[in-house]
Amino acid sequence: MTFPRSGLLVLLLASPLLAHHSFAMFDHTRTVNLKGSVTRFQWTNPHAYIEIDVPDAKGATTHFSLECTSINMMQRAGWRSNMIKAGDKVKAVAAPLINGDPGGLLLEITLPDGKVLEPGVPAATTFKRTPEQP
Amino acid sequence: MRAATWAWISAFVLMLAVPLGAAAQTRGAASVPDITGSWERYGRGARGAPNTLPPPAAQPQLKPQYLKEQQAKQQAAREADAKGKPLATNATLCLPEGMPGMMGATFPMEILQSRGQVTVIEEAFTQVRRIFLDQPQKALDDVEPGFYGYSVGRWEGDTLAVDTIGVKEDVRYQNMPHSPGMRIKERMRLVAPDILWNEITIDDPVTLEKPWTYTVAYKRMPDYKLLEYICEDNREFADANGVQQIRIGPATK
Repeated sequence: MTFPRSGLLVLLLASPLLAHHSFAMFDHTRTVNLKGSVTRFQWTNPHAYIEIDVPDAKGATTHFSLECTSINMMQRAGWRSNMIKAGDKVKAVAAPLINGDPGGLLLEITLPDGKVLEPGVPAATTFKRTPEQP
Repeated sequence: MRAATWAWISAFVLMLAVPLGAAAQTRGAASVPDITGSWERYGRGARGAPNTLPPPAAQPQLKPQYLKEQQAKQQAAREADAKGKPLATNATLCLPEGMPGMMGATFPMEILQSRGQVTVIEEAFTQVRRIFLDQPQKALDDVEPGFYGYSVGRWEGDTLAVDTIGVKEDVRYQNMPHSPGMRIKERMRLVAPDILWNEITIDDPVTLEKPWTYTVAYKRMPDYKLLEYICEDNREFADANGVQQIRIGPATK
């Protein structure tokens, strides 16, 4: 797959997506905007995971586990296992876990080169986005 | 006629026969439609050419006590979702959908036609079912209950007619209760060169007032090769209350 030299590319799926399971454990009313460093891109089924360390203003770091969709869906949407590596500085938009644990459902990730990827979450528009704080 | 002439004639007949045999799926002398290849679900949301869209599905007519059971399960699932504590399902636990759920082709599906058998592979959970052609159906007592049941089929003109029995009671489609005696009949037919319909009829005199028929359609994916799907690290699990939970923290895989 080739990417345009400038600008953002959002990988989208051509057909409506079916889901195998409920996404109700993730908050549909807000998103978190996380800036951090990838520690691991776990390329597995039934879901891929992006593990990131997110520093706060006071210098403390919180580790977040971000669930993606199935690697089959992601491949069909153009993702590859080598697109994200440990150490990559990324910006992620995720629907947080309702139980308060530091994890969530990845909706969108911006890679160091500005590419924006979506994992193709079914009914992704049902997650209300919280604007990024300046 | 000289032997050499016969040899030439035989060779010529073979030359004709080999390509014909390779191009068409054959059963005896009659050729059958070629449905081998990758397929994706088609026609959801009424998107597609009108004459290729499957008819809308009616609701199954469950007998009152089973309807009550289904509605109670659906209500419990809705309430759990509303609380952010979804109930774990077979899919949460990486168990396959089984029959007839896998024929909904949530992920792409591959159909393979070989001598005496049609094989259906659903990419998600690497689900595989085998349809044995031109064989009598077994007695229910001779089939051990399973996720896909036991399927026999035959070509009736342009239609592959399939009969399936022996689906486990806890393998459920849309939370619909069924008895061990549930029978699934399928009629698969190309309605366009690249559109396949599967008319599925579920018959269960124990739970249904009358057989329930719905049709799903698939579109050929000429260039798609099915991907592997292994539940290698399922971080989601059911807690003691049957609620879906997730293990977070640094990756172990």
